[in-house]
Amino acid sequence: MTEAHSGKGVGASLARKEDRRFLRGQGEYVANIRLPGMLDVAFVRSPMAHAAIRSIAKPAGHEASVFIAADLTGVKAIRAVSGLKGFKASDQPVLASGKVRQVGELVAMCVAPTRAEAEDIADLVELDLRELPAVVDMVAARTGPPALVHDEWGDNVFLESLVDDDLSDVKRDAAVTVRRTIRTARQHMSPMEGRGVVCEWNRRLDQLVMYSAAQMPHINRAGLSDCLGIDQGAIRVIAPDVGGGFGYKGILLPEEVCLAWLCRKLARPVRWIEDRREQLSANANCREHHYEIAVYADAKGRLLGIDCEASVDSGAYSSYPFSACLEAAQVGSILPGPYKMERYRCRTWSVATNKAPILPYRGVARTGVCFALELMMDAVARELKLEPHELRLVNLVQPGEMPYLNITNKHFDSGDYPEAVRRAARMIDVAAVRARQRRGEPDGRRVGLGFAIYCEQAAHGTSVYHGWGIPMVPGHEQCTARLSPDGILELRIGAHSHGQGMETTLAQVAHSVLGVDPDNVRLVHGDTGLTPYSTGTWGSRCMVMSGGAVATACEQIAGRVKAIASKLLEVAAADLVLELGEVRVAGTDRKMTLAEIAHVWYRKPQLLPADVDPAGLEATAGYKAKVDTGTFSYACHATTVAVDIETGHVEILDYAIVEDGGTLVNPMIVDGQVFGGTAQGVGTALYEEMPFDEQGQPLATTLADYLLPGSGEVPAIRIEHMETPSPYTFFGQKGIGEGGAIAPPAAIANAVNDALAPLGVEITETPLTPRRIVEAILKARK
Amino acid sequence: MKRAVSMTVNGRPVEAPVEPRTHLADFLREELGLTGTNLGCEHGVCGACTVEIDGAPSRSCITFAIACDGASVRSIEGFDDDPVMADLRAAFTAEHALQCGYCTPGMLVTARDIVMRLPDADEARIRKELSGNLCRCTGYVGIVRAVRRVLAARRTGHGSALN
Repeated sequence: MTEAHSGKGVGASLARKEDRRFLRGQGEYVANIRLPGMLDVAFVRSPMAHAAIRSIAKPAGHEASVFIAADLTGVKAIRAVSGLKGFKASDQPVLASGKVRQVGELVAMCVAPTRAEAEDIADLVELDLRELPAVVDMVAARTGPPALVHDEWGDNVFLESLVDDDLSDVKRDAAVTVRRTIRTARQHMSPMEGRGVVCEWNRRLDQLVMYSAAQMPHINRAGLSDCLGIDQGAIRVIAPDVGGGFGYKGILLPEEVCLAWLCRKLARPVRWIEDRREQLSANANCREHHYEIAVYADAKGRLLGIDCEASVDSGAYSSYPFSACLEAAQVGSILPGPYKMERYRCRTWSVATNKAPILPYRGVARTGVCFALELMMDAVARELKLEPHELRLVNLVQPGEMPYLNITNKHFDSGDYPEAVRRAARMIDVAAVRARQRRGEPDGRRVGLGFAIYCEQAAHGTSVYHGWGIPMVPGHEQCTARLSPDGILELRIGAHSHGQGMETTLAQVAHSVLGVDPDNVRLVHGDTGLTPYSTGTWGSRCMVMSGGAVATACEQIAGRVKAIASKLLEVAAADLVLELGEVRVAGTDRKMTLAEIAHVWYRKPQLLPADVDPAGLEATAGYKAKVDTGTFSYACHATTVAVDIETGHVEILDYAIVEDGGTLVNPMIVDGQVFGGTAQGVGTALYEEMPFDEQGQPLATTLADYLLPGSGEVPAIRIEHMETPSPYTFFGQKGIGEGGAIAPPAAIANAVNDALAPLGVEITETPLTPRRIVEAILKARK
Repeated sequence: MKRAVSMTVNGRPVEAPVEPRTHLADFLREELGLTGTNLGCEHGVCGACTVEIDGAPSRSCITFAIACDGASVRSIEGFDDDPVMADLRAAFTAEHALQCGYCTPGMLVTARDIVMRLPDADEARIRKELSGNLCRCTGYVGIVRAVRRVLAARRTGHGSALN
């Protein structure tokens, strides 16, 4: 038996190592950490979206427990710039200074022995604010602003970008022209665990030690260093168990900077744990897009060109490290999706408003882009009376064209996009749904069928990110692998897991390379004091990047192990095979286990020859994909829905996914990522929305108002896999963590529109709530 | 003004002074160090903080500790000798019913209640019963499968074989 057949390596649905502690309530989330003498922090947050601060009065008797901007001497504002031409930088004070620019902005920090007491003090702080007109609608913010979010800018635009082209010939030649206005709602990512920070100043090491529910601890460390003006060696950031991320925890928080300053000031450990109410009020920060889009096609449905003007609501400040413009600029570069076309023009604006600063949520701009593009594809199909999946087959990049450089110079690595559509059409059984539609439903509901396909750039590296010019550019991803004296393998990586199961999957990678049993692998991650630098966990990158780094480090350890064994067994290293944790002389029974070799290296070095490689059994290796423009996983989602035209209620009757994530390291975990992403996409499609009133007040500040899909709303989802390896990664694996969340809004909206097309109804806005559906039906009847 | 409360927690008697405004989850977590009960929303919607009070699943975030005087409370730490919970834990791992783990303790308490109360529950009923416990990672697929697996094993008398 070899690693390939052990049922534990790359390709095995191995049960997760991390489950044991979680199933017993022994996960160590940041809120579970207790430090002696720890104090709790509650923040006073702005009740207004846009206001000038006249004064902040600390309550009598509590002056020493309340801190405002003027108290934070030496602390700099958070500043996340972009190198893209024309970008306007924003300074985000960690406690508001001069004016407040969103509801929930931090104004004062209150500290007490318990959170309840800290909240009591916070209630006594008096704010005197002069309300200013709030900038709420992103289109008005640009074209007729009621106010300026940043007075010195002269407008409300962080960045305007343009992918230019001349569309005059396709406009002339097109048999079909479809124009639409498309909008997606602002959302809250809503991991089950909120953010949280516990920190203390270690006097012996003269070092800040911060526990934070963070996706990118090394990046937080760099940002803290900038804001606090202390060197990075004086900062250790530890991300303990993290209860879901999805992008919400990929940020340097003003709360982190405040608490870092406070623990040093008070010489006491301090803690802040975000509660759901403050989270929903202050941090609905993603997904709000607006498109004016035109698609030109010939009579057979072949795309001739796309012309688009897109706005993204970037909120009040530029978040560190992704900046305020990543998402809108990405809209410009990925709107063409997996399709071929002759002409493409897209102008985008990253617009400043009096809302939470934008953060990239699972799928980043792709969920909005896929919604816009795939709704347009269906609109074209309706014009030409073509089946939607057939229109897609006409336009997709063909497998024989891979690798393919698309119209915006995205380098698609591998895959068979049309086959994904054909398989999804078979899974959902297009003919059967059409027959059902002709028969009609006994209960009067309308049935509809919807498709959506995307391809997703993931694990993209230096060659892509240096162009953005943001504070973070990924280079080589590193792993330190150490075979310890008892033969246990320690892996240290700088990325972090918040549900992805890397303690298991990276052990599988090590098993495939080194033969060590996954039970004998320990992953150390999420701690800047113990791990190599990494930009962290984002962009579906860890299985490609950390996986590649672990494999490369294990290859180095394998070479060292063989070199030592060749001396001890007195054979040439080339005659040794490494299998299932043993080094064997090929064709014989002579062997040593990894533990025996490690024992000699550490405990009986007298047995080693004088010329042994002194590097020993610890190696740090760096990894970059052969081509680092990213892997392109892809999927076709197909769904059948039933729409009640009286109530506007949508039921998902069937949901099928054909997914290609390249080589799957752990198919069970991949399915879990796809299921979970799809559930979030169902929320985006039908339920989740943070509305604001004209004063910029968020109107869904509890989970009774902001609706997350529950077990009754998420359908039983069927997945089929294709496995086209990426030619550029270690095992052929591709990033797949985000994909599930990309296609559902488009697929579900297309299905609803298919159901309602006979009524002349087409909805182009998320979420497709009962009210929106009923209003659209009533409007069409008039 | 603190007032004395006495209750049984995971089979052990507990007596402590509490603030009347302290909810049960904070009492378990902050006073007793039982941090397996996670807080998700603190307004009774998400179900992450679900514990057993006198044998019934309850939201510990909207239950005052003082209201539990004389009650028997069981949190995730109190199920280590329970064979049904052992089966559920094995099934949760086998079906990949957890990712980040944050909703898991509350989800397990609810799941155990379904298994004990509704031995014939089908998928639709399981989904309805689980609807008060939110999970943001799994899409509920593995959770529903895990509950079904335990129910099926118990119907054929092979519950403990899951371990």
